[in-house]
Amino acid sequence: MGPYDSSISAPAGSSSTSSSACSSSTKPRQPPDQMDHLLAGAGYKVRSNDLHQVAERLEHLETAMVKSSPVEISELGHDAVHYNPTDLASWVDSLLTELNTNPPAAVGVPTDLPDLHPFPADINMYSNNPPPLHGEFSQQVVTPLEEDVSIRLVHVLMTCAEAVQRGDLSLASLLIDDLQALLGRVNSVCGIGKVGSFFVDALSRRIVNSSQNGVVQDDLSAYENEMLYHHYYEACPYLKFAHFTANQAILEAFDGQDCVHVIDFNLMQGLQWPALIQALALRPGGPPLLRLTGIGPPSPDGRDSLREIGLKLAELARSVNVRFAFRGVAASRLEDVKPWMLQVSPKEAVAVNSIMQLHKLLGPGQPIDVVLDWIHDLNPKIVMVVEQESNHNQSVFLDRFTEALYYYSTMFDSLDACTAQPVKSLAELYIQREICNVVCCEGSARVERHELLATWRDRLTNAGFAPLHLGSNAFKQARMLLTLFSAEGYSVEENEGCLTLGWHSRPLIAASAWQAVPEPSATMGQINHP
Amino acid sequence: MAGSDQINVCESKRVVPLNQWILMSNFKLAYNLLRRPDGTFNRHLAEFLDRKVPANVNPVDGVFSFDIIIDRTINLLSRVYRPANDTEPDATLSTTFSQLKKPVSTSEVVPVIIFFHGGSFAHSSANSAIYDILCRRLVTLCKAVVVSVNYRRAPENPYPSAYDDGWTALEWVNSRPWLQSKDSKAHIYLAGDSSGGNIVHQVALRAVKSGIKVLGNILLNPMFGGQTRTESEKRLDTKYFVTIQDRDWYWKAFLPEGEDRDHPACNPFGPRGITLEGIKFPKSLVVVAGLDLIQDWQLAYADGLKKAGQDVKLLYLDKATIGFYLLPNNDHFHTVMNEIRSFVGPLPSTDCE
Repeated sequence: MGPYDSSISAPAGSSSTSSSACSSSTKPRQPPDQMDHLLAGAGYKVRSNDLHQVAERLEHLETAMVKSSPVEISELGHDAVHYNPTDLASWVDSLLTELNTNPPAAVGVPTDLPDLHPFPADINMYSNNPPPLHGEFSQQVVTPLEEDVSIRLVHVLMTCAEAVQRGDLSLASLLIDDLQALLGRVNSVCGIGKVGSFFVDALSRRIVNSSQNGVVQDDLSAYENEMLYHHYYEACPYLKFAHFTANQAILEAFDGQDCVHVIDFNLMQGLQWPALIQALALRPGGPPLLRLTGIGPPSPDGRDSLREIGLKLAELARSVNVRFAFRGVAASRLEDVKPWMLQVSPKEAVAVNSIMQLHKLLGPGQPIDVVLDWIHDLNPKIVMVVEQESNHNQSVFLDRFTEALYYYSTMFDSLDACTAQPVKSLAELYIQREICNVVCCEGSARVERHELLATWRDRLTNAGFAPLHLGSNAFKQARMLLTLFSAEGYSVEENEGCLTLGWHSRPLIAASAWQAVPEPSATMGQINHP
Repeated sequence: MAGSDQINVCESKRVVPLNQWILMSNFKLAYNLLRRPDGTFNRHLAEFLDRKVPANVNPVDGVFSFDIIIDRTINLLSRVYRPANDTEPDATLSTTFSQLKKPVSTSEVVPVIIFFHGGSFAHSSANSAIYDILCRRLVTLCKAVVVSVNYRRAPENPYPSAYDDGWTALEWVNSRPWLQSKDSKAHIYLAGDSSGGNIVHQVALRAVKSGIKVLGNILLNPMFGGQTRTESEKRLDTKYFVTIQDRDWYWKAFLPEGEDRDHPACNPFGPRGITLEGIKFPKSLVVVAGLDLIQDWQLAYADGLKKAGQDVKLLYLDKATIGFYLLPNNDHFHTVMNEIRSFVGPLPSTDCE
């Protein structure tokens, strides 16, 4: 890496739920739902009133384990799928069920499903790159001088951002000159030099344009957008992880369903779907009828790029005997999509797939509420949400700037380590556009309004969705894939039923799955009723 | 077997608070799933089950943390915990990189505690929730900076990886200008629990040979062992969350192939041990839990130090089990915290949490 020998993890805006004990401002007086706060600090949620019961379950589990053979215990570790270890009671119960003792009525125990082959190397329609080799670390020596310069660089960046926040643009401009000089002294090929230059660039744009109403980013052509996206997809594992985790969850949600309909909020080049099509083809009992509705921007030049992708996917589906239908929905913004355009039939099982799209709905007017409403009304079996794990939606510019600096520094750090593409300029440009949007833009132009998983949890719960937990099978496969496709240093973590992918110990994207809770007026039934 | 297990359960339940019993039992049973009879380890499931927390540069209860790579070649991460500066009016403002590495002090002594988490060389990480909490407590308690080392674990990385990583961390701490305080030097203590305690001893040994000054060693229920079965092992086997069998497994996973438990890493004052007589070893605080089955080895360790003329304080906690320091709801916890505070530098007494 670069001049500063640190991979620094960012402020957690709302701290991970496992340490919720520390951040509660008052200690309530033991209402029935009160969690034991000491266990909460250790990462486990157990109600104070349930402690005795949980202890009893643990005793039963121990007895059951003692009675089992080492082979059975090994199998428990191997084949059983574990979910959300934070919910200790459920975890213990699921193990007891596996060991075939008599548990109380446990929440639906998941069945084993065919594992997904995520990146079909043989059915790779889009990538012409050879499979990436496991990267080696290039050792970069950090001289004390370089470390000083990089520390100073960050310090001046922050001072400049503060000046911008205060409206002191003449000072800010002077500081930009300082920053340019500092950038000249720092290794700009990697590390803080590289990401620093993007932030300096974004700040100076903001300063220059603040006389007008914020910066409007130039629109790229659809082709340019796709190019950047594709390079980002190849250069680092974030999108691959998102696709893979989503597909695994969708596959499980579609178990037993004959007619399924996937709604992709951003089709792009459809990179996610060959793997799902293949997995459905291989599923025991045969594939369902698969409909895919892909949402994407309209093509300006008479091409119908959505349809083109659809045709390619259809060809693939035909080759593996999956009955397939595609529909493209052209919309420049997600909020312009109306549910009737999706033509969802009541007989089909619906999956909504949103990879880094929902945050775009958090701007003025909060179209997110309307969209979540109609998603809910589609009664989806699963809503897959993958989002950047950071709070880039703070109204105070300085706070937003600081979070972004931490977040994208870490992301660039991770990019440096992947050597699949030695020259990563297009992938970096993809990220740079995000940075620019977060830093320079305001109002409806600012679409990169990332929020933390904890915030998304609240939002989705309030909108009438309940979590579907991602389990140890998805976790394990994600980890195995990372060793195949990426450098060491990436980490997958389990967070109360969600999975995050990050660089070292800093989560950078979070994947969660949801299902619609029926309206209270509807017929009663369990949440996991198929 | 079932009958004696019931007795075991009753016994251990009697001596610890219920939530602590749940925590330790959960670890015990989960860890049973992870150790395979063939000596391999289910690392994927281990990482899935481990409850982790991210670092947080925004101060929480007066402490903030950040992660730092101290050796890129092996991705050796450490989590640094620092006290939030009380004199800064906007303590909740976004802390910048430059402030993270602001020199701790020029005028006062600010101890730097290098902490090695436990887990019998195989489990846990620097960002495990239980250790994140413990390190934060140490910051507040000792008004210290804590550096928690994410050392490489067995069985994938057996001896001497953990020791090498500990040594790397010590050298790193010793050479950071921003960790120096009074007299322009770093005031370094080593601390660790379970396997972390074992690492403390080994790193201190290397420090002595290399001339880096370590002011003190804190060993909480340190992990030692030996080939013979001691009386405490036989008496306490299976009774308080730990078994001889699992101890054997972890030693086998950590020690070099073909070695037995009298290897000096496991048994530093055993038949293959070396004497520390005449060596300027740091003063040691050794905490032994009276219901820990390996206490005979831990007592032998303290004894070995004493016989070699070293400064050692032994704190024997009669009715304590392993892991008593993970939750603050027992007397042993408070006793130990007070001892640690006295041990690390001459600070005025304050109430610890």
